[in-house]
Amino acid sequence: MSAEMANEIKLISGRSHPELSENIAKRYDQIPLGRPPLGIEVARTISLNYSNQETSFTVGESVRDEDVFIVQSTSTGDVNEGLMELLIMISACRTASARRITAVIPNFPYARQDKKDKSRAPISARLVANMLQTAGANHIVTVDLHASQIQGFFSVPVDNLYAEPSFLRYIRENFTAEDCVIVSPDAGGAKRATSIADHLNTAFALIHKERPRPNVVGRMVLVGNVEDKVAILVDDMADTCGTLVKAAAVLKENGAKSVLALVTHGILSGSAIETLNGSVLSALVVTNTVPLGDKVQRCPKLRVIDISPTIAEAIRRTHNGESVSYLFTHAPV
Amino acid sequence: MVRNIVVLGGNSHPAIVESVCSMLALPACNRILTKFSSGESRCEIQDSVRGKDVYIIQTGFGGNGSKLNDHFMDLCIMISACKTGSARRVTAVLPLFPYSRQPDLPYKKSGAPLFKAGSESGKKDYTFDSVPATPAPGVPRSAGFVHGTDITNRLTKTSLPNGAGSMSPVKQTNGETYFGNGQGVASPVPGVIGSYTTHDYENVSHVGAFQAKPGYKQWVAQAGTLVANLLTCAGADHVITMDLHDPQVQGFFDVPVDNLYGRPLLKRYIQSHIPNYKDAVIISPDAGGAKRATAIADAMGIEFALIHKITDRQNASMMLVGNVADRVCILIDDLLDTGNTITRAAKLLKKEGATKIYALLTHGVFSGDAINRIKASAIDKLVVTNSVPQNEHKALLGPKLDVLDISPIFAEAIRRVHHGESISVLFNYD
Repeated sequence: MSAEMANEIKLISGRSHPELSENIAKRYDQIPLGRPPLGIEVARTISLNYSNQETSFTVGESVRDEDVFIVQSTSTGDVNEGLMELLIMISACRTASARRITAVIPNFPYARQDKKDKSRAPISARLVANMLQTAGANHIVTVDLHASQIQGFFSVPVDNLYAEPSFLRYIRENFTAEDCVIVSPDAGGAKRATSIADHLNTAFALIHKERPRPNVVGRMVLVGNVEDKVAILVDDMADTCGTLVKAAAVLKENGAKSVLALVTHGILSGSAIETLNGSVLSALVVTNTVPLGDKVQRCPKLRVIDISPTIAEAIRRTHNGESVSYLFTHAPV
Repeated sequence: MVRNIVVLGGNSHPAIVESVCSMLALPACNRILTKFSSGESRCEIQDSVRGKDVYIIQTGFGGNGSKLNDHFMDLCIMISACKTGSARRVTAVLPLFPYSRQPDLPYKKSGAPLFKAGSESGKKDYTFDSVPATPAPGVPRSAGFVHGTDITNRLTKTSLPNGAGSMSPVKQTNGETYFGNGQGVASPVPGVIGSYTTHDYENVSHVGAFQAKPGYKQWVAQAGTLVANLLTCAGADHVITMDLHDPQVQGFFDVPVDNLYGRPLLKRYIQSHIPNYKDAVIISPDAGGAKRATAIADAMGIEFALIHKITDRQNASMMLVGNVADRVCILIDDLLDTGNTITRAAKLLKKEGATKIYALLTHGVFSGDAINRIKASAIDKLVVTNSVPQNEHKALLGPKLDVLDISPIFAEAIRRVHHGESISVLFNYD
């Protein structure tokens, strides 16, 4: 008994997304563990920036020989701050003799800079992977990596969870599958969209787009039929929302009854909220992998699915050495 | 004209990049270094670096609306981009090394949060045992190594010598004890209030919102090693920096580190700008900097004095070791952050009868309310180098501040490292 007790979950929250960490901890309370249902609390830590802007992190309880899970998302606009804080937290737990350190990064930073697409372009995703390992992470838990190949940048295990089961449930609860057509806003996301279409047994369409420069959207062509259907755009991230809004307009022009979008990571940078408010999209459904702040108030079209049950269950299973693959097809309630 | 060499500058200190480049008679490498709207850094290096010897200049300073961590990530990304762009060698040039000085103790030595365990009730509430991790009723404690010996109780006794019982525990902010029921204890508020300086950790009231679990002395992250490892992991083959706060930081790296000295510049300033400097006194504002200050004092044959910080339980007081009455004082230190140490030292020196006070520091970060503090202080002349951008500070402090140019030292170091010449001459030239 004592040997088991010596290795507990320590849930440590960074500054970027405390609500998510709280949700995970709360969620954890509800899972029967065969022991007093105390669950876990977010560990006592403090992160702060000194006046010279250096980040400092302090752990207020022992992590020696514990199973440490560090939850840190990347808040829009402050990616580098969050990343440095995460690296410092990992390193602090490593030097404080944690047994295992799992970085829970719902929205992996720099996931889009994953290839050398022009001369001397940095492969920043690989740099981040190397940095996390250098800092001392033994395991990574993330959600809907932009490219699943990023897992190959790591030499430690990476659990790439999917928001898909949560999305499937959302669609089933709110629409009848026959009325819907799943649309991928670009060729790269076709696989993600077809997977959902297959599970729901609905039609599928694709929008082909030309992208001259990053964050600039070119001409769009619809492949498939959306007439008199509810068109559901599926993508992994909504950044400036230029693509989504243009795609929605194309779908409307092609006779869609209504258009909504299901997106895992709601980065919503720049003037995304204004773009959304002025668009033909009836709703944008995102998960809370990225802290949304006041965006929900500013955008009545924004709906949020809580992803913390999936992450909490992944943490529980990882800690207990159980398989995580169940979560790839099922979303815990 | 130096060939086959590329000097790439970050956004933190464009002036020094320009100055180093003009001394090496080569243009700075064209690059785009901005941010995407999502907050991720965007870096494009527009000139070829294949087979080149690349020097990336980025100082550890955030200001003028930019952020230190952004600059550091930019540096790592640039290093990595040059590496994947087949650069022959990548050297990171950091005039001020970030994260080189962080407090390692959350409290003053004497104020360490030892808890009171003298009374019976205290014994019941607190334990030295770190297990169980999640304190709760009904959770069993781990067994000791030897049956029947409760090692925790013995630890509790031996660790409390006579009189130590008077050392009060750190009070819970809400007056509750933590081990009660696990409820009613607010989790730490992750978003933190106000701004902190590196001195604030010495002050318990500043960290009032946060308390470590009783019996655990909080663990403060030391990022120095991490920063060193991150630079190496990004692909830096060589690091050039100046006046590291701890020379031991060099040992954190597996790649060569050239730690240049600002000392020759400071010496030259003393010789040329301070009249009758032979009669002045060199002062170290704390014991940690004594070595730095004596090195200059010895080399120039000037007298030396030291300010010693006495910390008893309640307050810190400063004591001068040496004589400064009716003398010109020259304070020497490596880094001015909030200016706390140096201004307090100056105040003491004035009280002890110093006629004029110069303060010479390598790195002038001027964070927090440093500018106002310096303005109000007894320092007559403050001298720093441009290891971080000083334009703004100069504008605010006016003639009180003199700025020394370190770009010749870095340009010469880069030239010598590129040609494989010894740079040890830079360590002691006068």
